[in-house]
Amino acid sequence: MEFEPVIGLEIHIELNCATKLFCDCPNNPGDEANANTCPTCLWFPGAAPRLSEQALEKAALLCLGLGAELQPRSAFDQKVYYYPDLPKGFQLSQAHLPLSRGGGIEILDEDGEPRRFRIHHIHMEEDVAKLVHEMDGRLPVSLVDFNRAGAPLVEIVTEPDFRSAHQAMEFLKVLRTQVRYVGASECSMETGTMRVDANISIRPKGTDQMNTKVEVKNMNSIRHVGDAIAYEIERQSAAVGADEAVVLHTRLWDPDKRVTVSMRGKFEGPCVPDPSVPVIELSPEWIEGIRARLPEMPAVRAERLTREHGLSADEAGMLSTDPEVAGYFEALMGAGVAAKPGLHWLTTQLLPAVKERQQELGETPVTPLRFAELLQLLAKDSINANTAREVLGEMFESAAGAAEIVAARGYAQISDRAELERVVAEVVAAQPGAVADFRSGQGKALGFLIGQVMQASGGKANPKVVRELLVGLLG
Amino acid sequence: MRFTALDDATVVQRLRSAGIRICGMTGMSEFGLGLTGSSAGRVVETKHADVELVLDLMGESRVAAVRVGACGFKPSYGLVSRYGVIGLIPSMEAVGLLARQPRSIRTVLGCVAGADERDFSMPEEPVPGFDEEWTVPAGTRVGVIREACSGLTPEQLTGFQQGIEELRAAGCAVSEVSLPDYPLFSLVHKIVGSVEAASSTGRYDSVRYGPRAPGAKNWNEMYLGSRGAMFGTLVKSYLFQGAYFQFENYAAYEDACRIRARLLGQTQRLMQEADYLVLPCPPRGGAEEKSALEAVYAAFAETLWANVTGQPVLALPLPGSAGAVGGIQLMGPRLSDARLLALGEMVLDRRKGDR
Ligand SMILES: [Zn+2]
Repeated sequence: MEFEPVIGLEIHIELNCATKLFCDCPNNPGDEANANTCPTCLWFPGAAPRLSEQALEKAALLCLGLGAELQPRSAFDQKVYYYPDLPKGFQLSQAHLPLSRGGGIEILDEDGEPRRFRIHHIHMEEDVAKLVHEMDGRLPVSLVDFNRAGAPLVEIVTEPDFRSAHQAMEFLKVLRTQVRYVGASECSMETGTMRVDANISIRPKGTDQMNTKVEVKNMNSIRHVGDAIAYEIERQSAAVGADEAVVLHTRLWDPDKRVTVSMRGKFEGPCVPDPSVPVIELSPEWIEGIRARLPEMPAVRAERLTREHGLSADEAGMLSTDPEVAGYFEALMGAGVAAKPGLHWLTTQLLPAVKERQQELGETPVTPLRFAELLQLLAKDSINANTAREVLGEMFESAAGAAEIVAARGYAQISDRAELERVVAEVVAAQPGAVADFRSGQGKALGFLIGQVMQASGGKANPKVVRELLVGLLG
Repeated sequence: MRFTALDDATVVQRLRSAGIRICGMTGMSEFGLGLTGSSAGRVVETKHADVELVLDLMGESRVAAVRVGACGFKPSYGLVSRYGVIGLIPSMEAVGLLARQPRSIRTVLGCVAGADERDFSMPEEPVPGFDEEWTVPAGTRVGVIREACSGLTPEQLTGFQQGIEELRAAGCAVSEVSLPDYPLFSLVHKIVGSVEAASSTGRYDSVRYGPRAPGAKNWNEMYLGSRGAMFGTLVKSYLFQGAYFQFENYAAYEDACRIRARLLGQTQRLMQEADYLVLPCPPRGGAEEKSALEAVYAAFAETLWANVTGQPVLALPLPGSAGAVGGIQLMGPRLSDARLLALGEMVLDRRKGDR
């Protein structure tokens, strides 16, 4: 019998708010242990939670960015369970009345066909504390760091629409891009600001039954999500093929052994409406106010970049995944740079150079205007590509403009034919062997001769002119 | 609990800044639930204080008051900040006030009532004018709840009828009104209250503060040991009951929430038939309650209504032996606190005049 998997995703995203969800403590979990705590997030007697306005706004922006419908009425519930990472015996989450319902993301599936994957709902919740297990001599001790307790999270729950690891991975990539776009989170699985659980079951292909699912956790990259899903599909198919029952449980992905392993069942408590956090009522005006802050989403931007600058769908799509890069590109276009060389130089030269210097694109001293000046010198043939790369390197160190650097260093390209003819003649005279090779039809000898001319000119010769002259002289 | 508060509760802070002298602390029952071991009412009775603050979860401030011949008041839900209050039943509890005269309650309530930026559960509502001169209009309609008298002793019933006569004599139009669902207040309070209590006490896990039971081998043992040693019998049985509804019978809890909503609607309808509702306030809830949950609920049967619906309610002592007769409760619509207290003042002023 052939099986098909039924996969749903639960994605936790840590919002990049300044404060925690219910108090004013800084939302910096990485600080010194328990530095960011107060009576509210430690749940001292008499403390009262206050829902952060910024968290509500960011969560709402995220919902709208994913095409979800914000609910006029949502509320917090208490997810009751006892664990030392939970300072009050329950986690505040929206179990019954979530912040938004619906929404979805379109991706290209394996066949290159666009396909939409639906989101069931998105709700807000608070993060829990971090447990650290250590040895105090021979005595095991557990330490609790409450910096993360109360950090603002949203959970995105999809419909069980996925039929392959590929679809789930593509969905996560697009989701990450869209959430970054609205500025709600960095969405890094590596640092834990995005955490993905996958619910996987299998069924005979072509049926619509819903079988017992297994939850898989502990993947810390999108690739691991794909690997874990693929493994789990295999495992369950083999189990069912051997007439073993699949039981509801949770498994952890082991990235070293590349398998999922069963974990002890976590006790699932009830969800009781919370009497202390007021019901969230969103007016149509408030929702429209948030919608007005929604940036142009990646798919829309890609479409526009194609239309306005003649980029291919692939180029525009790639450019739009990162709002910073897309913004930089558009600034270059605004400064009059042509689209194709602009894109080429941005992606092959500037981005690697910025990364190498461990800078952020938004903060690099090579601003779009300065970079545009350089690219224009190149476009006018005032300098050649090699020189441009060199000047770019200097622009990271100095505040001078590209033209200034070119002038100061005497980098200006020599395009004057009379001057170049003289150098070409010298090289031809000095390299009879290469000249003979070229004449006997060995194409690569031409490249060698051009290189010799470039060297003789101190790298300043216009290679286009040099080539013309050489071919004219020898051909 | 070996825990020192980091800050004054908002009510305490407001009392201090209003220049009111805080002369002591009332010994309360565990988490304020019931009156076992509570000294509520004693300092007012002995005139060592003009006003006492007593947490009102199920009627404690009112019952404690009428037992000593004083007045007890539970304000409208959300009128007085609960910041700093070590609560148990967030959706029902309120800071109650206890005094010999409703006037003192009105003065103190005027100091502590109103929005608090540290209690975010308080609705943004205008505070009733506690400084204003309230007159009770002639023909004010009071509705006596027919179903509320079944548990009274003959002496308490006679006293209650005398109280109703006083209202009539003061110019009120007295009628009898009926709420057949009246017995459900106790059920709803017990289920919703115990579930909220189970959640509210989850924080006492001995991880961050409080005494920790020694010798535990893991966190689960630590919880059981610490909480087992910390909580008293009554609170334990209450939390046990709440956990039962949370984990084993959630449907019953949902039913209780639905019934609570229905009772709120029925109360609002009754408030159109009458300006105030009247119930007895028997002087129970003392030694006889011991620690049995059923006994506690039986002792507070007449006072649970206002906690379930969040209304303001004033208990006045009745003429006669306080310990035997008890009092009468006047319950108004939400935010009628000031005029409700004015009605109480008028009744007691007239009584004084008669003597
Ligand atoms: Zn805090």
